[in-house]
Amino acid sequence: MKMLQEDDAPDAPMERVTTSANGKVKFLTDNVSVFYGAKQALKDIQLNIYANQVTALIGPSGCGKSTYLRCLNRMNDTIPGCRVAGTILLDGEDIYSGEMDPVHLRARVGMVFQKPNPFPKSIFENVAYGPRIHGLAKDRQELEMIVENSLQKAGLWKEVQDRLAQPGTGLSGGQQQRLCIARAIAVQPEVILMDEPCSALDPIATARIEELIDELRQNYTIVIVTHSMQQAARVSQRTGFFHLGSLVETGATGQIFTNPVEQRTQDYITGRFG
Amino acid sequence: MNSETGHAAAVPAAVPRAADRVAASLKRRYAAERRFRACGLAAVCFAVFCLGVLLFTVFRTAIPAFTQTMIELEVTLYPQEIDPAGTRTADAISTADYQKLIRDALDDLFPDISDRRQRRELMALLSPGATYTLRDTVMADPGLIGRRITVRVPFADDVDQFAKGRFDAAADAASRPLSDKQIEWFQRLEQRGLVHHDFNTTLFTAGDSRSPELAGIWGALVGTFWTMLVTMAISFPLAIGAAVYLEEFAPKNRWTALIEVNINNLAAVPSIVFGLLGLAVFLNVFGLPRSAPLVGGLVLALMTLPIIIIASRAALKAVPPSIREAALGVGASKVQTVFHHVVPLAMPGMLTGAILGMAHALGETAPLLMIGMVAFIVDIPGSPLSAATVMPVQIYLWSDSPERAFVERSAAAIVILLGFLVVMNLVAVVLRRRFERKW
Repeated sequence: MKMLQEDDAPDAPMERVTTSANGKVKFLTDNVSVFYGAKQALKDIQLNIYANQVTALIGPSGCGKSTYLRCLNRMNDTIPGCRVAGTILLDGEDIYSGEMDPVHLRARVGMVFQKPNPFPKSIFENVAYGPRIHGLAKDRQELEMIVENSLQKAGLWKEVQDRLAQPGTGLSGGQQQRLCIARAIAVQPEVILMDEPCSALDPIATARIEELIDELRQNYTIVIVTHSMQQAARVSQRTGFFHLGSLVETGATGQIFTNPVEQRTQDYITGRFG
Repeated sequence: MNSETGHAAAVPAAVPRAADRVAASLKRRYAAERRFRACGLAAVCFAVFCLGVLLFTVFRTAIPAFTQTMIELEVTLYPQEIDPAGTRTADAISTADYQKLIRDALDDLFPDISDRRQRRELMALLSPGATYTLRDTVMADPGLIGRRITVRVPFADDVDQFAKGRFDAAADAASRPLSDKQIEWFQRLEQRGLVHHDFNTTLFTAGDSRSPELAGIWGALVGTFWTMLVTMAISFPLAIGAAVYLEEFAPKNRWTALIEVNINNLAAVPSIVFGLLGLAVFLNVFGLPRSAPLVGGLVLALMTLPIIIIASRAALKAVPPSIREAALGVGASKVQTVFHHVVPLAMPGMLTGAILGMAHALGETAPLLMIGMVAFIVDIPGSPLSAATVMPVQIYLWSDSPERAFVERSAAAIVILLGFLVVMNLVAVVLRRRFERKW
């Protein structure tokens, strides 16, 4: 009874939802550093990620942008020797606190990887796996609905509706990546993290995924790591520039690409290094 | 002038173009490649030749064991001999003196022999198993009593060897196991068409025997089956469990490193050491029965455990990390990731390791000697607790026997054991093909 009252209390200390001129803050990152053993990969990152926007993370290879991305769904937990310091809040909840279950977090924060990695199972099973383990569907019919919806949202339904039983690994690279996006959507996450989702795809498949990202923005918060500055400029509303483990500059995409504050950002964008 | 032209000619020779140097080195490189290929081909040819010689020798020795020389005898089943009381009970029929009936039937074929010693020599042509064959025939159908029937009974092993041309009638009588008389009688039987070369069913249906013509591998096969069953039931789940835990769940610290080193070391421990361990622990401490497939299976399970663990861990390691990340990324827990995705993908490799481990155990002799599975066992083992022996030990026992006929039977047993090994390895290959998936 006492527990219930505590839970119902409106001013719980973890409730620190902040809104700013840019919209509702989905992820609040405060002073985050990441260490791989003795090596520091990220230094004191301060970054807000806003709801229903696409945030692009750019920077040269090895700058820590993927590491940062993997902090957001605690994927770094699986790497031995990796330590995260600082605070990351998802809707005001500390995701590195003892109360946050990483499995639950990953259901709320989905991920799409650099290389398309469908399970070596059927297309249907690939999408149905997440809802099934989380118990999101009451019966087979509902599960089929979820699969169809997810594939439709990922723009893959028309291409695969006749061959749901065929292996997901038999699709083309671009289709595989969209299958992976459908798989992430099927769990109904709040945020989708994308780690260079187009780096293994040709320009046509890339264009298709970029279109998709723009559509998905309506319902999801998206964080995308990319090496392509054109891609960042095309799909994102906000951009963060990482260099040597530090967040150099962050701001609206238009401002970063046309009128950066920092000299290093200017140099990177104009191709003077990176 | 002269020196100038000499100088001019020397310059291009000293600094040839890169393309020319490549062209010059190509010849050397190709020659090296040809040498390497020839060496490899020679090694393969040599290996194939050796294997061919080995298999040819074994098969050539083994083939005669699959036939057995039999005699066709007409036996009169006198009721007064078999069952004088006329009760026709199984007990009465089984205790009758069938040897006398056989002797009478044989004497009928050679009415000219009256001397007792010669008659004993004549009887020695037949296997002691002839009596059992006749008894089994009568037991199976007591209605035959009182009739005159034709039965085929085995010759003694020496006669069988003579019929297969293993020794020459012209050789010195002292150096061969049959006397001149016996050879002459056998040749007379042959002329009358009473000698047959039948397929040796005894080899596949009987247990061990002191008489080669009555010895079979069925007892050893059944013993092998029980032993392998115990080995499989214990080592497979344990090894898979250990491999999955060590590879996927165990923290990587000093203790797991120590365990890993020791598992690798265990795989290299001589198998006889496992036999001594079985003797000391399973027999002496736990008091399990001697010569039992249960103990043999336990010992072989200990021996195959490290092999299966190492193969399974390699299979688990080979599953790409992207699959693990994909599963974790949609919110699967560690256990779900491992058992829904990683283990199914590693299964073909694990099964291959298990089958190769079992094949290894199938051919193992030394540890079983230590726990008493080397005994002379005639009965077919009925359970994992009854005394038994296994195929390789049976081969070892037979190859140690003085009778010539056991040589070909050892070879036949080797052929059968090799057959099992080939089948097991084929199953491993088929499983690997069937479950192999691309990602």
